[in-house]
Amino acid sequence: MKTLEYLRDYPDLFWPACLAALALALLCSMLSVLVVLKRMAFIGQGISHAGFGGIGLAAVFGLASASLSPGATIAQFVVVLGFCIASALGVGILSAQHKQGQTHEDTAIGIVLVLSMAIGSVLVGIYSPRFQWESFLFGYLLNTAWPDAWMAVGVSVGVLAALFWARRPMAFWAFDPRAAEAFGVRTGAVRVLLLVLLAVATVTAMRLAGVVLASALLILPGAAALRLSSRFGVVMGLSVACAVVGVLAGLVLSFETNWPPGPSIVFTLTAVYLVASVAGRRAFAPSVQAG
Amino acid sequence: MGIDPQHEIGPSGFAAALEYRGVSFAYPARAADGPSVPVLSDVTLSVSHRERLGVLGPNGGGKSTLLKLTLGLIKPTRGTIRVLGREPGAARAEGLVAYVPQKSGAELAFPISARQVVLQAATLHLPAWKRTDAESIRRAEWALSLVGATEYADRHAGALSGGQLQRVWIARALANRPRLLLLDEPTVGIDPAGQQQFSDLLTRLRNEMDLTIVVVSHDLRTVAAGCDRVACLARTLHFHDAPGGLTPAVLAEVFRHDVSAIFGDVHIDAHRAAECAHHHPTQGAGAGGASRPIVDGGRSS
Repeated sequence: MKTLEYLRDYPDLFWPACLAALALALLCSMLSVLVVLKRMAFIGQGISHAGFGGIGLAAVFGLASASLSPGATIAQFVVVLGFCIASALGVGILSAQHKQGQTHEDTAIGIVLVLSMAIGSVLVGIYSPRFQWESFLFGYLLNTAWPDAWMAVGVSVGVLAALFWARRPMAFWAFDPRAAEAFGVRTGAVRVLLLVLLAVATVTAMRLAGVVLASALLILPGAAALRLSSRFGVVMGLSVACAVVGVLAGLVLSFETNWPPGPSIVFTLTAVYLVASVAGRRAFAPSVQAG
Repeated sequence: MGIDPQHEIGPSGFAAALEYRGVSFAYPARAADGPSVPVLSDVTLSVSHRERLGVLGPNGGGKSTLLKLTLGLIKPTRGTIRVLGREPGAARAEGLVAYVPQKSGAELAFPISARQVVLQAATLHLPAWKRTDAESIRRAEWALSLVGATEYADRHAGALSGGQLQRVWIARALANRPRLLLLDEPTVGIDPAGQQQFSDLLTRLRNEMDLTIVVVSHDLRTVAAGCDRVACLARTLHFHDAPGGLTPAVLAEVFRHDVSAIFGDVHIDAHRAAECAHHHPTQGAGAGGASRPIVDGGRSS
């Protein structure tokens, strides 16, 4: 087993990556249930691609070079996060104005997505032409240092605390938005909160693991868990379990095969989803089961 | 509880369960210089405690606006609304008024049981750091048993029939023990037998909980069955608890198109009704006095 050797012989190289991956699994898996149920996968895509615009903005301030001081790294993170939250709120406001037509939301996200990529491309081209997009797109978990790992843990704790705090109005809104409004839930605020949490999770995951893995973590665990149970609390727990299993298995796959960790985790998460789909076919037919 | 003519006038002060005084509502103009869109104009209404009012109207007649105003989700352009003597928003915040939406609003793929649907409403007021307490659970169970949904309380909400879901929505609305219950198109997708049971359920709830009930629908049978009074709403409000009752003329005036298509097997001579309305354009209910009343003012039970 190379995995055990690596973890024993190179602790400062592999342990931070494992810690960060677990923190991301926890962070994204809870949100992914809501992302899947509220059909927000495309919004997640839009937010992650807004990160390109955020990097462009960071480049203007000289924060997009290959080697940054720890302070500059944090500054870059804050700039990208701010840009993405602003984009998410922009999408939220645009789509709230057009409640009837789903197309308007899709259109708003599409516009934000392509515009951000264009802005990012132009600004990075001008201010930081040697910036490596690959690391941004696919990330590289094994570059994670201890400070990054602890940042992921901190963000994860913060987002989960906010989700816990808002769990009742959030679940009510997610299940029945119109009734929630009539029962006194501030539905606009709940929606904005979810968009902001989604932006925070996406940017953190993207920074450490790349756009692709961020999307995978925000969709696959929730989709798998929803195949397995028809109880909200159980689904949340299963989503976390699916994410943790998928991420750990992906890291082991990566260590054993020397494949990059991001794609390896995407493979294992997809495998978890397929297993859940097959295993859960009976479980998620409550009309038959409950009779 | 028959028809008391005093209800039509309404008591002085705000003693009624629900009171509208000269309420108008218009959506703001789309263009800066364009006209605003009037939805309700000069609606005056007084619903007594324990009364069951049916509000009948065509789509776009302002029924949803009436519900939103009563819940305090939107503010009237003109006029005053009082729910149990309070501002509508305050009454909603106190849990005095509850709402049963059309079923189309909910995400039925959501992993949630009928019991949890009711608990969502029962626990909504709890502080975030508190766990679901025994009192909330007790209220949820009470509401479920009141509507007769206990036996399928553990089933997935998406697996319930239209009639079962309807009971769950009502249980959810009752979980916080409201005094006024609003129902929006409650019988859409429910078969005639189910509709009768539903009407009986409302009668029972009214008697057991001293509820005031407002049922809003475009379907005549829904509002007529078991209601004390029927009001027709098409931007303005007409009451029809006078002996003449609800006649084809009134219905034709309210709906302004082929009424027989809406009411199915209820026979209505739409042509004659339109004629009546034409000859007596200002006298809604009176115009049809000679016609056969379709619904009399009193409760049909």
